[in-house]
Amino acid sequence: MKWQKAGKIFDPTDHALANNCKEFAQSPQALVFGDFVRIYFSTRALDKSNGKYLSHIAFVDMQKNLRDIIRVSNKTVIPLGALGCFDEHGIFPMNVVRHRDAVFGYTCGWNRRISVPVDTAIGLAISHDDGLTFQRIDAGPVLAASLREPYLIGDGFVKIIGDTFHMWYIFGTGWKRYASDVQPERTYKIGHAVSKDGVNWIKEEARQIISDRLGEEESQALPSVIAIGGFYHMFFCYRQSVDFRANKSRGYRIGHAYTDDLSHWIRDDEDLQLEGGSTGWDADMQCYPHAFECDGHIYLLYNGNEFGRFGFGLAALNL
Amino acid sequence: MFAWRKLGKVFTPQEVEGRCWLKEFAQAPATLVFNDFVRVYFSCRPSADENGQYVSYSAFVDLDRADLYKVRSVAERPILNLGGLGEFDEFGTYPVSVIRDGDEVRAYYGGWTRCESVPFNVAIGCATSQDGGMTFAKLGNGPILSYSPNEPYVLSGPKIRRFNKVWYLWYIAGRKWKVVAGRAEPVYKIRMATSPDGIQWTKINRDLIESRVEADEAQASPDVFEANGKYHMFFCYRYSADYRGRANGYRIGYASSINLIEWVRDDSKAGIEVSEEGWDAEMISYPHVFELDSKTYLAYLGDQVGRYGFGLAILEGKLD
Repeated sequence: MKWQKAGKIFDPTDHALANNCKEFAQSPQALVFGDFVRIYFSTRALDKSNGKYLSHIAFVDMQKNLRDIIRVSNKTVIPLGALGCFDEHGIFPMNVVRHRDAVFGYTCGWNRRISVPVDTAIGLAISHDDGLTFQRIDAGPVLAASLREPYLIGDGFVKIIGDTFHMWYIFGTGWKRYASDVQPERTYKIGHAVSKDGVNWIKEEARQIISDRLGEEESQALPSVIAIGGFYHMFFCYRQSVDFRANKSRGYRIGHAYTDDLSHWIRDDEDLQLEGGSTGWDADMQCYPHAFECDGHIYLLYNGNEFGRFGFGLAALNL
Repeated sequence: MFAWRKLGKVFTPQEVEGRCWLKEFAQAPATLVFNDFVRVYFSCRPSADENGQYVSYSAFVDLDRADLYKVRSVAERPILNLGGLGEFDEFGTYPVSVIRDGDEVRAYYGGWTRCESVPFNVAIGCATSQDGGMTFAKLGNGPILSYSPNEPYVLSGPKIRRFNKVWYLWYIAGRKWKVVAGRAEPVYKIRMATSPDGIQWTKINRDLIESRVEADEAQASPDVFEANGKYHMFFCYRYSADYRGRANGYRIGYASSINLIEWVRDDSKAGIEVSEEGWDAEMISYPHVFELDSKTYLAYLGDQVGRYGFGLAILEGKLD
């Protein structure tokens, strides 16, 4: 599987974004229209009360050449959650999927904790205006912690196959304090749930569907699934659970797995070759992949260095 | 109307010695009857930490069946450990409700975590005991009942029951965090879920008890029992603001039902009020009704939501 890099295609610092967001365009996710592609991403504002970040959803509409920008959203796509709600302090990422006349947005909502920095859960918001704005179905999440998935439910990616909604998502398997004077770090793995209506989900409950490459402390994130040539392919990112932010050798890389039955996944990161330069915007880190099809082409959107602080890029599959 | 005769306070946590985790509070009493004693589970706290914050444990006291004023023993250690780093029950296991299931005793409890924008969040956990309810092992390190679209936070106060082979869980779910004088105060309502096995739960997703004193009334401790062909629920309720004193504090309410789903509230039948003076003169809360040797008792908390223990009342006359 060979991919040709097209370089960075969007830099958030070149645009005026809603909610005073300045930097970050993380976890790009595409919604294809007749004559353009809308790419949602998570960008960040500073919370003035404490200097922490708040993640907001925005989008950019691009020509189908995925090079020319038509416009950037200048209004709020979905407001953050109310006081005490699971998505009060950020939405990152949001996965979009068309269903009948609507667009379903599966949000990963962030809320801050005391003993650990954060917890997350997955919500559902629906758009009836082709994805310009989304309204929550209600204040709480559709997928949250459960008996064997105790925290950090997030990164939902939904695909409707036949009459079944499939969701691939991540669940936390451990919080660990690696040193006494630093915040705890988390480990998470990729799981799977199904639904008949996209609202009520049945989890496989703590079944890790993608094997570890880096061992037990590998964190796996942001699954994205696409059908190519008789198989379902999953792209995701993975890293060490500690010392991954600045240490290039321990940071995010993009992984790959495939299946023909949507249950047993074979991991083969080696099969994924992103051809192109090894310097520049994605030289230190590659993360948050999103595969999609547009007019017979298969593309991979992804973030580069610093978790996408300065935007996202594109690669195209050589078919 | 029920007629309860107060028997006074029967357990005072400050009188227990040698347990650093049990300094004050004996909240949310729940009973398990044995041959010659009544085990009353409750939730308690060690002293507050340097920031004035508490953790909460659950434990039990065994009262003599022939004389409920007589404490036979107090748990040597909490019945549950606090959760690990980042888990839903890292900072508290309160309250707890128990039920026998064959040779096991099963406990459902509220697990507490601490949040940044609001003080806490709660979800409901489950644990089982193989030693008659002395110690419990959690079924998992996550909750058995968690947040969902219209129950976004603060799932607490579980009461586990079984009627006609169906498991019922009454509990509360947060409706809003209301900011009162700069402090986020939770408003919660009584809810219900059913299950064939006590593990897989289906929420009915609506409020069971209409609000009476105000729209933001908070309701808690939905304690259900069956008698004379219908179901009875005692619960407690309070105002959303300034509820830590007599005027707006907790009172005990009552509702009845013939099908466990449709409930008719009639607090005038509850038959118990705050006292003119003494340990329960400011508030009464967390009712739990149990039958023992042909008598019906009501265990409940007094002032400061059980900081100084719980008491009993006995039913005079018949349940109607």
